Amino acid sequence: MAGNFWQSSHHAQWILDRQDLLRERQADLQVLTEMEYQKIFIFFANFIQVLGEHLKLRQQVIATATVYFKRFYARNSLKNIDPLLLAPTCILLASKVEEFGVISNNRLISACQAVIKNKFNYAYQQEFPYRTNHILECEFFLLENLDCCLIVYQPYRPLLQFIQDIGPDDSLLNLTWRIINDSLRTDVCLLYPPYQIAIACLQIACAMSQKDTASWFAELNVDIDKVQEIAQAIVNLNQLWREWKEKEDIQMLLAKIPKPKPAPQR
Amino acid sequence: MQKYEKLEKIGEGTYGTVFKGRNRETLEIVALKRVRLDEDDEGVPSSALREICLLKELKNKNIVRLYDVLHSDKKLTLVFEHCDQDLKKYFDSLNGDIDMVICRSFMQQLLKGLAFCHSHNVLHRDLKPQNLLINKNGELKLADFGLARAFGIPVKCYSAEVVTLWYRPPDVLFGAKLYTTSIDMWSAGCIFAELADAGRPLFPGSDVLDQLMRIFRVLGTPSEDTWPGVTHLSDYVALPAFPPISSWSIIVPRLNSKGRDLLQKLLVCRPNLRISAEQALQHPYFTDSSNNHS
Repeated sequence: MAGNFWQSSHHAQWILDRQDLLRERQADLQVLTEMEYQKIFIFFANFIQVLGEHLKLRQQVIATATVYFKRFYARNSLKNIDPLLLAPTCILLASKVEEFGVISNNRLISACQAVIKNKFNYAYQQEFPYRTNHILECEFFLLENLDCCLIVYQPYRPLLQFIQDIGPDDSLLNLTWRIINDSLRTDVCLLYPPYQIAIACLQIACAMSQKDTASWFAELNVDIDKVQEIAQAIVNLNQLWREWKEKEDIQMLLAKIPKPKPAPQR
Repeated sequence: MQKYEKLEKIGEGTYGTVFKGRNRETLEIVALKRVRLDEDDEGVPSSALREICLLKELKNKNIVRLYDVLHSDKKLTLVFEHCDQDLKKYFDSLNGDIDMVICRSFMQQLLKGLAFCHSHNVLHRDLKPQNLLINKNGELKLADFGLARAFGIPVKCYSAEVVTLWYRPPDVLFGAKLYTTSIDMWSAGCIFAELADAGRPLFPGSDVLDQLMRIFRVLGTPSEDTWPGVTHLSDYVALPAFPPISSWSIIVPRLNSKGRDLLQKLLVCRPNLRISAEQALQHPYFTDSSNNHS
């Protein structure tokens, strides 16, 4: 659904305030440093991306799943649900909402098993531990925590319009598209409207490819401070990502994630 | 479910049973739609999800309101605004006579709801009198967005009720897969004629072929000249070349000339020539104050 962003639940309920976001995270940040927290979310955004590609999903579905994932933990501690269970649940829900067609649970679970075994064995030594009943139960919980706001606006569509406006340029489009994908590893999708994210990513792409679009940007009627904040968040991400030796410390990080208390024995 | 008291069963929806309910605190009457979670492994049915996510975005006077989604154990219950009846039941109560002022008011509200959906790029895709709810204040609301899916209109639903063909446009009957807002405009046209004729359906076909024949006997059989590309549609069948009827006053005798003009702009075989909801609302049938309803 393309619809109207300004009248959407995304606009009304899910453009969050940075202070609120930090406050909600306080419990987890007692256990993890801010940087560790960020690395965990980079890892799971990568996991969702790889899982989605394995299932041959469109990028729009993958992006929606990632936003669900981030929205859930914007309101919940990591200990409420194991992110390894929530990630495939977000994929399941997003593929239904984006009308990609239903992925059967068996297919989803075997995809998780394959991806863990072949791509993420540096992080998980055991096989994917969850089954259909876990995912279906988790889907309920996810739906509730999203307050049933399932339609997510992404920066891809505004990007296509902007590129049209600047003058068709496939390499610029592809570069910006990839930067938007990267932006899913930051909090910007929780804090800013998608068109601002598209503009910030476009600005970075123009700088990288040394394309002079200053006059086009000058004519935009947009809050430049916000665009700068987004661009800065993405630049910071890239720096962290580049310097992070993921394979060395991911196991330690995953072990450090606050876990749910074991269910009481009956 | 503590918040609502379940009252009597109202009906079977696309994906579950509908009950009347009462909010224990406010005593407000609501409709509770219980979503069946089948044992197969889809999880929450996509039809229910579709309805939830669309209604969460579409808030309009002429679209039924989704108040709440309740989760309990293995059940999902959607809480809707309650309306007293649907248009089909209303028709049944008419005894073959309708006030033309009401006919116009309902049609206008149907178009307003549709214009709102279409401006949000949402297609209803399954408009019919059973999906239009009416309350005591004479307000009409679009409901049941659950049957609409991107991958074609299902031909069967979970309950015993058969999905009706009566409101489907010829392009869809011929197998067109690319749906646009025009699909809803055709259905709106069929419902308009039914309103104007106090609940007698315009094209009550018994199967796809009968449905097409009934349409073409009134509108004339389309050809490549009147509708380029029609013969290339996947389920196209050549049918006898009926001429269009000479006068619409036989079909909808009580509708005034402006109403008949609007009806003809809705019921056009070639989909891209059908009037839009927004344009239809500007039609003299609604805007002309000198309208008399004789």
